[in-house]
Amino acid sequence: MKQKIRQIINDMRQQPLVGTVTFIATVLSIFLFMVVVITSRVKVVPFSPESCRDRLLIGQYIHVKDEKGNDSSGSMSTLTAQKLYDGLKGVECVSYSQYLETMTAAGIEGKYFNAYCRPTDAEFFKVFDHKLIAGRYYTQEEADASLPVVVINERTARKAFGTVDCLGREISLNHKKYNVVGVVSDHSFLATTACGDVFIAFGGDKEGLFGGTTAALLVEEGVDFDSVRKQVKARYAILDTELRPEGKKTVYHEAPFDQATVSGGLRGSNTTPDTTSDSYVRYTLYAILLLVPAINLSSLLHSRMRKRISEIGVRRAFGCTRLRVITDIIWENFLITLVGGIVGVALGITFALTYSGLYEDMETYGSGITPDIGSVINFGTILIAVGVCFILNLISASLPAWQASRLNPVEAINAK
Amino acid sequence: MGIITLNGIEKVYRTKEIETTALENVNLDVNKGEFLSIMGPSGCGKSTLLNIIGLLDKPTKGCVTILDRDCSQLSDRELSHFRNANLGFVFQSFHLIPTLDVAANVEIPLLYRKGVSARQRRERVEQVLERLEMSHRIHHLPTQLSGGQSQRVAIARAIVGNPQIVLADEPTGNLDSKMGAEVMSLLQRLNKEDGTTIIMVTHNEMQAQETDRIVRFFDGRIIG
Repeated sequence: MKQKIRQIINDMRQQPLVGTVTFIATVLSIFLFMVVVITSRVKVVPFSPESCRDRLLIGQYIHVKDEKGNDSSGSMSTLTAQKLYDGLKGVECVSYSQYLETMTAAGIEGKYFNAYCRPTDAEFFKVFDHKLIAGRYYTQEEADASLPVVVINERTARKAFGTVDCLGREISLNHKKYNVVGVVSDHSFLATTACGDVFIAFGGDKEGLFGGTTAALLVEEGVDFDSVRKQVKARYAILDTELRPEGKKTVYHEAPFDQATVSGGLRGSNTTPDTTSDSYVRYTLYAILLLVPAINLSSLLHSRMRKRISEIGVRRAFGCTRLRVITDIIWENFLITLVGGIVGVALGITFALTYSGLYEDMETYGSGITPDIGSVINFGTILIAVGVCFILNLISASLPAWQASRLNPVEAINAK
Repeated sequence: MGIITLNGIEKVYRTKEIETTALENVNLDVNKGEFLSIMGPSGCGKSTLLNIIGLLDKPTKGCVTILDRDCSQLSDRELSHFRNANLGFVFQSFHLIPTLDVAANVEIPLLYRKGVSARQRRERVEQVLERLEMSHRIHHLPTQLSGGQSQRVAIARAIVGNPQIVLADEPTGNLDSKMGAEVMSLLQRLNKEDGTTIIMVTHNEMQAQETDRIVRFFDGRIIG
């Protein structure tokens, strides 16, 4: 191994331009790939305040058809959501919250700003781990009574009051006064179900079929999502009996959905989510991201190998088999790719951790806050990185290695 | 019985337009422990013959038997193993790998031999380099060696695996007369001390005279 590394270094010295270009190309390829992987994984991996994503199921929509076949679909009312999701076996707790709403906020007189507000129940803070900096979360009693109490995040506290020390103070939201009972830390709005600047105690919309409620189900450890869905499907059947007198019937679309489906597979309120085509698009993108640099690296390796034809001939003369020529070249190239890969991964991770603009475009509300993506950079990411290096190496080195192995030893030895 | 037997060897190079006969009905027996030189004008087929004996090239017709084994029937993989176990090569232009140091160059044949540990390889390399008085250059790159030193390293590489046969293609061709004489004396030593069979292609009549037998070649045929 030591010898191999020394030979690679010497080879790089002897062909500095091709060697440097190869290395930089490898670094950039892996860097780009890692950025794409991280930005796509950040949509599904758990991070605060959605540390529960592995156990999270989301119910958002309801779809009904009347006797004439007319469709109605959209977000559920809290009443509908409770009928479908309350008291399910294997579910630790359920939270009902509303969509984010932009409100005009004001704390100190004359300081107005826009804040993203989310009316929620108290269970919301059990499902999602918003980090409390000061005060408390509101209680279920306060929520049920829709009392004017709110929990706000740090940046809202600073905007409204110039400090996070604002418990008991009043904040105006769309000209209605609310009492601040708690302050939570800032968080990325890529936590799409849990994010918000202001959380308002809310008992839910208790009338009608449709509304603006999202149900977040925290499933117990080890419970299969499908077993929960089966129960929900049965609830749809019960709901159908209630809707029958109105001549309506629900259409079940495999709800509630896991994080992967919510982040990429939802195609509207009246269709069954399609995660397959989303996966195809993602994997095609990955393949292109690998294939393009692999082709370039392959031609660079081919050029490097041309200078080593005589060496291959000599090795063949002394007993190196064709297979060994191939494995040696692939192994040697893998070492270069791996070193380039490590640099590329380090660059990718540093970029992902420090450049918040990367996520702003992904966010609907543009908080500009870098998510706590420590969980993205774990063993799985490293495994993906090594795998990518391996695949990139295999694609780029296979053809030149195979060509080298087919060389006639005599012609190879005498090659200039 | 010879260690190498060539029977009716013919080598024809064909292109779309022409057919060139490089070797024609070559029959040759080389005895164990013999130091044989092959002489002849440029382009008469000496190197082609050496490549066929070295199992680097296949004859168009005829049979190559080395160490009682009919080599015409061996697969590419078997040929590689056979070369590794029994043959050593010394080239006119040394063909040392420029990116490897002396030790790594000499080690090459042992890399392809099963059951030889890294430690055994290192010990064997050191032993051979010491014998050829090249120990002081063990960590040098080929570019840091003189022609004579390079050829010594190449000889060390050829014999590190204890082959029974060493094939040398004009081993002194790129050396001045003093260095050439040194290399010749080295090959003589290997032949005498180890009993290694050596076949050497050369243009140098004086050096050929130092060997046990001279085979003269002309237009792809043995003429004497």
